[in-house]
Amino acid sequence: MKITQDIKDSTVIMTLDGELDASSSVILDEELSDPEIMKYSKILVDCRNLNYISSAGLGVFISHLQRFEDAQIKLIFFNMQDKVRNVFEILGLDLLMTIVTNYEEAITIADE
Amino acid sequence: MFNERKFFLPFIKQNTTNSQKQLLPKLSTVFRFMLYKTNVKSLLVTAAIVSWVLLLGNVLLMAESARQPGAIKLALPYINNLLIIVFILSVFFFQRFSANNLKGIDFSSYLWNLFSKAAIAAYLSIALYFAYKLSTGYARLQSPLLLHIVYQVNFGLLVYFLAKAFYIWRQLLLYHKNKFLQVAWEWFELLLFSTLILTLLNFNYTNYIFLPLFGLFGCYILFLCTNLKWVAYLSFNKKSRSLVLLGAILVSCYIFTKFFQEFADSEQLVIDYSDVGFLALAMLFVGTYTLAAFLVSLFSLPTSSVFEQKSEDLLNFQRLSQSIQQGQNESQVYNTLFESTIKASDATAAWFEMVRGNNTHVSHLLNINNDQIERIRHLLMAYNIQNIDYINNNLDRNTGFRDLSLPWKSLIILPIKSKKHVFGTLYLLRDIEQGFDRETVNVLRTFTSQTILTIENLRLVAESLQNERYKEELKIATQVQESLIPKTFPTDSWFEIATHAVAAKEVGGDFYDFLQLSESRIAIIIGDVSGKGISAAFHMAQMKGIFHGLMQQDMPPSEFMKQANSALSRCLEKTSFITSSLYIIDYRMQGFMFARAGHCHTLYYNAMMEDVFYFQTDGLGLGIVRDKSYNNHVREMYYDYNPGDVMVIYTDGIVEARNAANDEYGEDRLKYMLTQTYHLEAEDIKCAIINDLEDFTGPDNLYDDQTLLVIKFKPVQPKA
Repeated sequence: MKITQDIKDSTVIMTLDGELDASSSVILDEELSDPEIMKYSKILVDCRNLNYISSAGLGVFISHLQRFEDAQIKLIFFNMQDKVRNVFEILGLDLLMTIVTNYEEAITIADE
Repeated sequence: MFNERKFFLPFIKQNTTNSQKQLLPKLSTVFRFMLYKTNVKSLLVTAAIVSWVLLLGNVLLMAESARQPGAIKLALPYINNLLIIVFILSVFFFQRFSANNLKGIDFSSYLWNLFSKAAIAAYLSIALYFAYKLSTGYARLQSPLLLHIVYQVNFGLLVYFLAKAFYIWRQLLLYHKNKFLQVAWEWFELLLFSTLILTLLNFNYTNYIFLPLFGLFGCYILFLCTNLKWVAYLSFNKKSRSLVLLGAILVSCYIFTKFFQEFADSEQLVIDYSDVGFLALAMLFVGTYTLAAFLVSLFSLPTSSVFEQKSEDLLNFQRLSQSIQQGQNESQVYNTLFESTIKASDATAAWFEMVRGNNTHVSHLLNINNDQIERIRHLLMAYNIQNIDYINNNLDRNTGFRDLSLPWKSLIILPIKSKKHVFGTLYLLRDIEQGFDRETVNVLRTFTSQTILTIENLRLVAESLQNERYKEELKIATQVQESLIPKTFPTDSWFEIATHAVAAKEVGGDFYDFLQLSESRIAIIIGDVSGKGISAAFHMAQMKGIFHGLMQQDMPPSEFMKQANSALSRCLEKTSFITSSLYIIDYRMQGFMFARAGHCHTLYYNAMMEDVFYFQTDGLGLGIVRDKSYNNHVREMYYDYNPGDVMVIYTDGIVEARNAANDEYGEDRLKYMLTQTYHLEAEDIKCAIINDLEDFTGPDNLYDDQTLLVIKFKPVQPKA
């Protein structure tokens, strides 16, 4: 699992590369728990190369969801592979989180 | 002979107490051997006694006839020689057999054996001779016969002494032998016995022809006498005791030699045993070896303490390295370390500090008080040299130590630490300068490194025991969890159910359960706790409790999910959530109600429409949204079932199982499997799916808990 952050003005573009399992979700949790991240108003998560997400990985996003919502930070997922999206959907997270098809759409929604 | 029996009896007794039947053949050989040995020995004793008595008789006869010149000479010298040889051989061979019984490395007991049983004979013989002198001197008469008897008795004692000494020396000489020495000894024995032929043929061994030969033989003896390895194994005390015994044996040799020299070529006697070359040579060997042993013992006396120290060091190393097998604990190991290092370095004072966590405390003390320790430690702390290897062989030269005015002049600090841990520190003090030379320091360091090794191994052993205990507890957890999952469902004529559940680890987060709500209604729940292992297992147990608690009140599935979410919100970790599906089947209405909370879609076969599909319903997992807004995220569905319909309920471990190429099993393949098998019994459908899954993943490729339930509704309805 490789996590890279790209910062543009008030937007953090976080790219997830590989499999988000029990061990790599710890790294993700550290990244999302960083107080620095609360300075930005938009977090866009690029899931193009996210091949698999375990329940532990989902748990990390879920645990931070409320915090971002309270701080009025938008969390948007884009470029999600079908099988990963299916996992989000089965759990019902598609109704709770913003999942869009591509970057442009993500930018548009983020700027609303 | 009695000694022989004693020697064998315990051995036989021990054997007979074991399995007797097996040992019977062995035992008979032992008996035969014993009989043979006893026979030979008694034969030898008889031969010795008879030959000696005959010899005495013949000598007396000769003496008598010599006194009366007119008498007929009955006795023959050749018979005398023959009897002498028979006597000597039987005594020597008897001792040859007896000496084999001497075993072990208690060499001073060999010497004591020799002295008490043989060397004492010399003192006896001299006493006998003086008694004869006194009695004849007092009575002022000459008694050639009495003199002959004394001479003859002394001859017997001499041969006995020589035989005993000869074979005890053989045992010692051949200690730590090699092949060469063994052969050399056998040749020596052979050569020595061959000199008896000279006696038999009445040759005079002092003849010039034999002199060079005897000279060579003497050299041979000298060479043999250099084999004194056993002396090195004597401790100082034993050596000094041995010196006394060896001295006494030397005196015995001298007495015998002197006595028979005195009577050599005597006019008073008809027989002269100093003519027997064998005895002279045997005496030469016994005397030389005794002298050599005496001198070597004497001169090695000052160095024996070094050998003693070395062997004690070795013994202590053994004790340290074997302490694990002997089940010792750490403090016993430190005891050994403390005692052995003090002995090895000859330290006058010492202390050992044990480190436990962040505390150090003095656990061992020798000739030093806490006040002095405190002062030394303060000084070391000032110099910043605690817990490192440090040697100071002249404390007086250092102003700091001089100011402490300690009675010691040398100090060594030996930390007991591995790369990871500090176990303690050992301080040794001596009252002389240069007290810790390089040799001693090497020995001390070997002790400390052995101790470190032992302590680390002890801790490893303890750790593995602890791990063993954890494994046992996990086994119990597995059993407890298995008992939480129902093994049997109520069997009824209107539906059949087949289940499959495996956990990836000892305990898992998957679960399923049922509750009979009324006569015609049953609630079935399946769930999956996020994560794996112990924490998942705890939440799973919690969920089971919630299911049974809430469903007692008989509520619709969506209401159950709302209440379960509210209950779990209070106790679930932030990153954990639970997915679940609850079905309430009512066979009187021929339908079921269900709600899905983020759980895998239910696979269904409709027999009427002959269609296989997934129920696509919305529903958020439990514990994701932890407030009232969850109520908007759960849907309830009602479905009428037909006889022959099949419902497949499972966890994500099934559809997300992967093969070697990292492909997922997937919903599509599961669906395909049901289209192929829906006509089978529930149990067979389940087996077909599981077999297909195992074919797909390959063996031993279980990464997530897997649960699968197959429910088939049957056409026959029970009578209401």
